Parts: sequence; C-alpha cells; structure tokens
Amino acid sequence: MEMTRTIKYEADRVKGFGEEVMSVPGCEELKDCIQCGTCSGVCPLSIYMDFTPRQVMEMTRFDFKNEVLGSKTIWLCASCYACTVECPRQIKITDIMYELKQRAIKEKVYPRGLPTPVLAQEFTKMVHDYGRVNEILLATKMYMKTNPFAAMGMAPLGLGMIKTGRFSMIQEKIRGRADLARMLETVDEGK
Amino acid sequence: MQSTKENTRIGFYVCHCGHNIAAMVDCADVAKYVKGLPNVVLSRDYKYMCSDPGQELIQKDIREYNLNRVVVASCSPLLHEHTFRSATAAGGLNPYYFHMVNIREHDSWVHTDRGEATAKAKALAHAAIDRVAFHKALETKTVKINPDALVVGGGIAGIHAAMTLANAGKKVYLVEREPSIGGHMAKFDKTFPTLDCAACILTPKMSEVGAHPNITLWSYSEVAQVDGYVGNYKVRVKRKPRYISEERCIGCMDCISQCVFKEPKFEDEFNEGLGKRKPVYIPFPQATPQIVVIDPNVCLNFKRAKGPDGTPIVSDKCKKTCVEACGDKNAIDFTQKEEIKEIEVGTIIVATGFKTFDSKRIPGYGYGIYKNVYTALEIERLVNASGPTGGEVILREGKNPDGSPKHPKSIGIIHCVGSRDKKTNIWCSRVCCMYSMKLAHLLKEHTDAEVYNFYIDIRAPGKGYEEFYNKLLDEGVHFIRGRVGEVTDWAMTPEEEGKLVIRVEDTLAGYVRRIPVDMVVLSSGLEPQADAQDVRRLFNMSCGTEGFFLERHPKLAPVNTFTDGIFIAGACQGPRDIPDTVAQAGAAAAEALVLIDKGYVEQEPNTAFILDEECSGCKSCVPLCPYSAILYDETRKKAHINEALCKGCGTCVGACPSGSIVQNLFEDEQIFSEIQGVLAYD
Repeated sequence: MEMTRTIKYEADRVKGFGEEVMSVPGCEELKDCIQCGTCSGVCPLSIYMDFTPRQVMEMTRFDFKNEVLGSKTIWLCASCYACTVECPRQIKITDIMYELKQRAIKEKVYPRGLPTPVLAQEFTKMVHDYGRVNEILLATKMYMKTNPFAAMGMAPLGLGMIKTGRFSMIQEKIRGRADLARMLETVDEGK
Repeated sequence: MQSTKENTRIGFYVCHCGHNIAAMVDCADVAKYVKGLPNVVLSRDYKYMCSDPGQELIQKDIREYNLNRVVVASCSPLLHEHTFRSATAAGGLNPYYFHMVNIREHDSWVHTDRGEATAKAKALAHAAIDRVAFHKALETKTVKINPDALVVGGGIAGIHAAMTLANAGKKVYLVEREPSIGGHMAKFDKTFPTLDCAACILTPKMSEVGAHPNITLWSYSEVAQVDGYVGNYKVRVKRKPRYISEERCIGCMDCISQCVFKEPKFEDEFNEGLGKRKPVYIPFPQATPQIVVIDPNVCLNFKRAKGPDGTPIVSDKCKKTCVEACGDKNAIDFTQKEEIKEIEVGTIIVATGFKTFDSKRIPGYGYGIYKNVYTALEIERLVNASGPTGGEVILREGKNPDGSPKHPKSIGIIHCVGSRDKKTNIWCSRVCCMYSMKLAHLLKEHTDAEVYNFYIDIRAPGKGYEEFYNKLLDEGVHFIRGRVGEVTDWAMTPEEEGKLVIRVEDTLAGYVRRIPVDMVVLSSGLEPQADAQDVRRLFNMSCGTEGFFLERHPKLAPVNTFTDGIFIAGACQGPRDIPDTVAQAGAAAAEALVLIDKGYVEQEPNTAFILDEECSGCKSCVPLCPYSAILYDETRKKAHINEALCKGCGTCVGACPSGSIVQNLFEDEQIFSEIQGVLAYD
C-alpha cells in the first residue's frame, strides 16, 4: 500500500491568502472563529462535503489556499444561511463561501465535473450580457457544458413545461445594457 | 501672576522612575529649568522619589531649606499623591502644600520624541510651580461610621458576608427577596468537584443565620430606597405581606396539610416547576425562616376578591381550614399589608446574585418544544433526594410499555447555552463546564445511561477541577467537542425513532454526527438579574456592558464599588462558582469591617463651599449635584453644601452664575495660575 504524507509544511501555505480573504468587507469576522463547529452542525449539506464548513474556515485562516479553493465544500454550499444565522461569532460564513467561490473561478481551480461552478459562471455571464436570466436557457447551457446526457433525463419535465407554456427559449433583455455593463465593470474593478 | 506671595519657598523634585520617565524625559534638564523659576529654592532629580530615601529627602529639605511648598513631578497622583502628601506632612508642613505633576502617564509613556517630551515636562512643572504658591493649608475632615451593616441578598454570598460581620459582633440586617434564604445554592444537589451535598453544607449556615442574635433576617422583603453616604446610609426596606405573622408562626405547617386544596396543584417555583405546591406553602423543608407563605394569586380566600386599590381582600370564598388548623397560635393574618421599615446602616454589601439564561431564546435546542429537553437547574431538582421525584430521574414524556415511568438510557448535555455567543451573551459563564460534568456524573450514577457532553472548550481551572474532568473520563462519560447545531425529533434512521437527535460536528474527528438520546440537558449560562439596572441605581453603582455590577478595580479593589461603603459579592459582579463567591463575600465583609472598626472615614478636603454673601439663592446648583449634597435653606434664601456628601466633582462650581461657589484645591487663582504656567514655556 502506498503511503502519502499528510503533514503540512510551511511551504504548503500560500501566505497572505487568509489575510486577503479576511480583508474583504463582510469576511472580517473570520478572525473571531472559535472553531466550535456550529456551522457544520446546522449545515444541511455538510453530510456530503469533503471538508466541513468549520474546517474550510480554519484552512482559509491558515492560508491553505490550494486545498480550500479545490474543495467541493464551497460548491455544495446552497446559500441557505443557516450557518450565518447560528454562528456564535456572527461570522458571515455564506459570504465567505461566495468569496472563495469567486476566487476559485478566477483562478480556474474549481473541481471538474461539478455543475455548480459552471452554473455560477453562466448565470453571471447572462446577467452581464442581457440583464435578465432565463432559467430554461441557463439550465440548458449548464447541461451542455457538464453532462449533455443528463439533459435527456430531464426531457419529460421539459415536455410538461412546454405543454403548460412555461418553456420559453426567448432571451429577454433589458434596455440599458451598456449602463449595466459599466456598473458591473466598476464593481469588478473595486475588487 | 509671576509675583506670588513674598515668602513662598518651593522645593521641586523630578523622578526618573527608573527608565519609565528618564528614557523619554531629560530629568536633569527639567530640574535645571525649574531651578530658574521664581520662588524655587531647590530643584532636584532623583531615581525613585517614592522610595524611602526619596521621601526622606523631601523631609530633610523642608527642614534644612525652610521650604513651605513641595512639588514632585513623577507618576499619576492615583498612585503616589498620598505618599508624597504624607512625606510633606512628616517634614512638618500641611500636606496640602504639596502638588503633584504627572509626567509619566501624561508624558513619557505616551510620547516618542525625547525633546518634545522634555519640553512638555517643563511646561507641566512650570504650571505646578505657579499653582502651588496659591495652595492653602487644609484640614482633613472625618465622618463617623454607623457600625450596623446591611446585606442585600440571601444567597450563599449574602449568608457568608452576614455571618462574618455578625460573628465579628456587628449588627447585620439581611434582606432577601424570596420567602427563604439560600438562593440558587439551596436548589443544587451536589457541589463540584468534591460532590458534597449542597444542602448538607448550606442549611446549617442558613439556620445559624436565622438564629444569630446579631442578624435581623428579613425575608420576602426588598430594599426600596437608599439615601445618605458612607457610614450613614438611610435605607427603606419593603416587607411584602406573606399573610402570616412571623412572630406567631412556629413552622408546624398544620395549615398546609389542612388547606382546602387536598392535593398540591400549583407550580412550585423552588422545584423549577417540576413539582407542585399548595397556596399556603413553605418553599423547601429546610427553608429559613421556617415560616409559611400564602400566595394570594391562587389562595381561594383571595381569589377574584380585590379591593378598590387592587390588593387582595378577605372574602368568604373559602372555608379557611388553615385558620382553624392554626388555632390558638393565630398566626394567619389575611389582612396583612405591605410594610416599610426604615433602618440606618454604615455599610452595605450587595449580593443579589444572578439569573440563568432563558433557554427558550435558542429555539434550535427545543426547550419548551420537546418535553424531554431540560435545563440544568431542573436536573438539579430531579436528581435531588428532596426534589419532586425523590431523586428518581424520570422523563417528562414517554412511558415504558407496562405504563411505568421511563428512565433515560442516553443523555446529551449541551454546554455553553446562551454563553460565548455574540447573539446572546458573549461572556463565558465560567461554572457551566464544571456543573455540566457534575450533572453528567450524577445522571450516570442515577441512571447508568450513556452520557454525552457537547462542549466548545472545557474550562476547568479551579482546584481539583481538572482532576474531576479526568474522573469523568475514567467513568466513561463521553465528551464531544462541538457546539450543537440543533436538537430535533425528526428521525432519519430506525434507531432514531422516538428519540431526540442531536446534530453536531465532532470537530476533533471532523465528522458531522447525529446522536439519538432520550434526554437533553441544556447548560444555561449566567446572566445579571432582570432588575440589576434598578438595583444599580438604588445603590448608585456602575455596571459593565454585560450588566453585572462593576468593581472599583478588577484586580486591586474587586469587592469595592465606586460608592464608598457599598461593596459587592458573588455572582452579581459576574459569573462565579461557590468557592469564589464565598471568598469574595468574606472579602466584602472584611472591607466593611475595616470601615466599621476604624469608626470614621477621612474625607478629601477638595469639597466645595458657598460664599454666603454672594449667593443669590437662584438654586441652579441644587438639582445639578449628583450626590444630592446641596440643600436650599429657605429661611436664609441661600444654598448650603453638606461637606460630608460632597465628592468634589466641581459641577456646582462651574454652574454657579454668580461665581459664589468655591472648591478647595481648585480655587480660581490656583487654576488660572496653573494655566498661565503651562503656557509660559515656549
């Protein structure tokens, strides 16, 4: 049996990563974490995670950037905010998860095969380009890019939606798209 | 203003304070500068002015150089003003001819530029030299101390403080809000870490209090008003009607057994609502005083019979079998009214205790939703031999198939309920880890159940506490490090059916776990009493942000308050366990004894007085005084300041429109010359 070292050396840390995340507005409280595990205890999805939310918090604080950004946990977060509501240190855990997700996308280190990162990117792209989201198109795009065969399984549902007139392939657009693009650009620059 | 009194002869000393001052201030240069100022006869720098040689230097110089003013530039007056005043007095001068300059906290410690810090020291010294010339000889006044003491709160803190004072021969009034003294400790089963029975160690002390010739015990009473000042407090105590004559009741309790209610039917406060009592009751068997109480809210005689002012009145709605049972003793008095007692005491010890966190505020833990979720205090009563079940741990909900009461086979104890949480109470309640472990031990002993403790951190820093933790590990009590996410009755697996499921991350293993248990115990934290703010105002004390009473100094004056003669003891100051509470109660009693046995207090002569000929009688100052020290004399149409009450805050001095109030040590010419002095250096 092959043995792998699990020890972490100082070189495995990406020094400054934790500080950087904690300097983002809304993420500062992470400094106060007492590792009590309430976040994991209330998280409905923690049962599927490779690291519990508590572990992600500690790993972020101690600069284990590669492990955190590569973890499935941040993509399993369903943004139910239970952890944020219950945290005794009022850490905005869901917001930190978003911050980590953005960084994972930017650095293209998210785990392959998971539909959520693709969905997230397509969603923002759609908002950027049109100012409106069409769920049908969004779901279609996600399936095409991740698992086209899975889309076949959804065919009966699609047919049902067509029958009831809830299946629109028309992409709605807002009028001031250029203004929106400028606003979003400013937001992105501010990061 | 430079030309001061002709024969002023000032001695000036600048202290190095080791490196504390000398590292940032050129002390020799300051001494040289001051030497050149008017009226300065000598100017020295010295390594430690507060040392014995430093003080002797002052005394020697006063005699040799015939000094009549002394200025020392060193640390804060809080630390050594008294030292140098004494040295000045020992040299033969009035101590108020001394003035102190703070060049440490106000200068060397807060600056980084040596040149500028030295300049500031010179300016401050110059101000003091100009000011001290106007100092006058003042006399310290003394106020007599009434030797009687008041202790508020009859928990273990109040009991111990009252006993200490009474055993020292002082007369003590002990005022307790509930019908019996004993407080929270009386409800406990055992005490950690020694596991001695709480009642066995507390009740002898309680009856001693009840029988002590020096203690006047007023239970079922509250302090309504406090006036006066250190040594001479006037207190009004409200004695609530218990509808029983305390003089005539002998504690036979015949009235209880003969009450028209054959069965106890009303919620029993002492047993945390787990047991029942009658309208006429005694809180618990060892209650002190052994006098019954009638609850007018449920007593048939009072029921729905309210007088015009809303107070209960005697009616014919009940057969009054209790009165019959009492017979010749004639102790039951349905017409009893609230009574106000006025007492005079010299010192007051406030020991009003704490309240437990209301666990319903965390709905996720299911208290008040699931019947088998208990608070720790309920468990104390449940495992207690004199508790509602006689010490048998029976679940509130669920029966065995044969209909017999069910005992828990697995128990989860959740620590830190309401504590260490920014949303509720941010502080650590300090006792919960230990009492949770005690309950874990007792529950295991009583039921042989699997007991799980869910903790964030185990805090066991007392004598024998870590050993107790170790003992529990040996006993096979489980400890899971993780704050519980939720308690639910929603089963996911067959083994969870009919149980309460605790969902928690075992943070040490890194797994999220679901643990089914029969009983959940919530270790609720400690909070200030609901009316702590009213009590604080009553006694003119301060509170910290969390609402506990504030001590004068967290380390060096832990039982003193900012009001002289008023002391605090026990959990009203912050969460603490019994050993610490008793130690603090003893300390508070000792501090009170210091005042009582000295017999008088010296008062700083920095009080204000009124120049009668200039006072117009406008009364502007009267309502402003925070110590109610100013009275208006109607016959002379002048305000008058009670020196004993004046704390020298200066509010009235600033407010007087005609400038007719003068404060000793802060007279106009002293202040103005000080300002000119500080501005003279450039």
